[in-house]
Amino acid sequence: MTAIVEVSDLTKRFGSLAAVDDVSFVVREHAITGLLGRNGAGKTTLMQLITGQEFVTAGAIRLFGQPPLENAAVLSRTCFIKESQTYPDGFKGEHVLRVASWVFPHWDEGLARDLVAEFRVPLDRRMKKMSRGQASAIGVVVGIASRAELTIFDEPYAGLDAVARQAFYDRLLADYAEHPRTIIMSTHLIDEVADLLEHVLVIDEGRLIIDAAAEDLRGSATTVSGRQADVEHFARGRDVLQRDAVGAFASVTVSGLTPAERAAAAAAGLEVGPVSLQQLVIGRTRGSARQEVAS
Amino acid sequence: MTVVALPAAVPAPPLSRRVWNAMRLHAANPWPTLITPWLVFAGVFGLNLAIWYIVTIAAGGSQNLDADAFDYNGGVTWVLVFLLVMAVQAMSLTFRFALGLGMTRRDYYLGTVAYLGLLAAMYAAGIAVLAQVERLTDGWGLGGRFFAPWFLADLPAWQLWYLNAAVGLLMAMIGVAAAAVWVRWRATGLYAFFFLAALLLIGTAWLMGVTESWAPLGRYLSTHEPALIVTWTLPVSALCAGVGYLLLRRATPRA
Repeated sequence: MTAIVEVSDLTKRFGSLAAVDDVSFVVREHAITGLLGRNGAGKTTLMQLITGQEFVTAGAIRLFGQPPLENAAVLSRTCFIKESQTYPDGFKGEHVLRVASWVFPHWDEGLARDLVAEFRVPLDRRMKKMSRGQASAIGVVVGIASRAELTIFDEPYAGLDAVARQAFYDRLLADYAEHPRTIIMSTHLIDEVADLLEHVLVIDEGRLIIDAAAEDLRGSATTVSGRQADVEHFARGRDVLQRDAVGAFASVTVSGLTPAERAAAAAAGLEVGPVSLQQLVIGRTRGSARQEVAS
Repeated sequence: MTVVALPAAVPAPPLSRRVWNAMRLHAANPWPTLITPWLVFAGVFGLNLAIWYIVTIAAGGSQNLDADAFDYNGGVTWVLVFLLVMAVQAMSLTFRFALGLGMTRRDYYLGTVAYLGLLAAMYAAGIAVLAQVERLTDGWGLGGRFFAPWFLADLPAWQLWYLNAAVGLLMAMIGVAAAAVWVRWRATGLYAFFFLAALLLIGTAWLMGVTESWAPLGRYLSTHEPALIVTWTLPVSALCAGVGYLLLRRATPRA
């Protein structure tokens, strides 16, 4: 495995607040990694640290094996598209694409024009006058057409409608299949991207709470439902991520069931079902029940 | 954890290319720095021409005017002020964008300073050329002095260029330093910056008064070549540029 991003014991403090709190992980080459978490969890700070825009308080980051801060060798291979990107006054869409074509060594102009048509971006309009969705679309076009070896999307879809978001996922995946690259996608629309992700990082209150292959994660939790008494009996002593009850009927989401335990639950008259990535993340990041997951 | 292999190291694009990209970034939209200033220039100059013309007619012909009636004009100084404004604007607006595109602070800063230096040189060249036209046409046929007013009218073209370029560069570098303060510390920083600048100016004036240096300064200024005097701005410009870099080096792009 080749590590494109290597983060070790990374901490970033703003005053007394630890926006990123002792985080370590590796982002694999040629994979799509999801960086998930609630608003304010520290996702954007983490990505700003990775791209050398923020300064590290403690710990280390390696991008393509080198520290990213002020390092043109690795930053020139990286494209970071963020929702909050601002553009110089008076810049039109065409100016943004022009600068992007100079800066990214693997820029594909044909692809960019193609995407502009698909997302219906008005290139002759000033960025300031664009709707949120149109400005987001410009970011998406730059991100895909940059063909940067490491492309990071931070909530790139603000204001994009469902059709445009689907087009974004489809075009990204299609281009990724033809030109393998490393992609980090930060999002809270988890269900929408669940099928895209090969690896999942979940961050909550600055801490990394899940670092796992998407495949493993899908089987890592199970919803067990049935009569309340039976469910409670089964759940006792287990790691319960989420608990719901309606009248005499209850369901719990528990982590780490072995096939034998599933069979036992089914035999006890309980219904056993899979948990979506979104439900899993909600269970892990809601309230105080914080569980560390070994990867 | 799995054994981690390091990806192959790829050299960075050459420094010249990176700095060039940062320079081009400012010209990607040519209007604010390359086109609009010339249009304003044309407008200001047009107004001056009109005023000279009206005054000449009102006086009943140029023979009724003093020989130096149109010798004094500050129309060109706005370009110098504008260079300061351009520097502040260019930097405060493009810093976040440039870093968002993966530029390093150093490459961005080098490109920005180089671009502003070129702007100063270019506007000074334009002024110098137009001043020659002004001289050849005897003040646009009206005895007016716009591009080289006052004592500047007698300077050779290269000196006029050098004067405007050096002062323009100084203004741009003051702008760069102020913009770096803004990018780093926002409004709070700027208040402190201008307070310190005022303190420095008043302090210098006080010190010169105490040491009775005003008269020698006046003598120096009146007995030396303008080109020599203006050379004193170069180290100040360099200092401003250096301070700007030290500030920007640790700045974070924030929304």
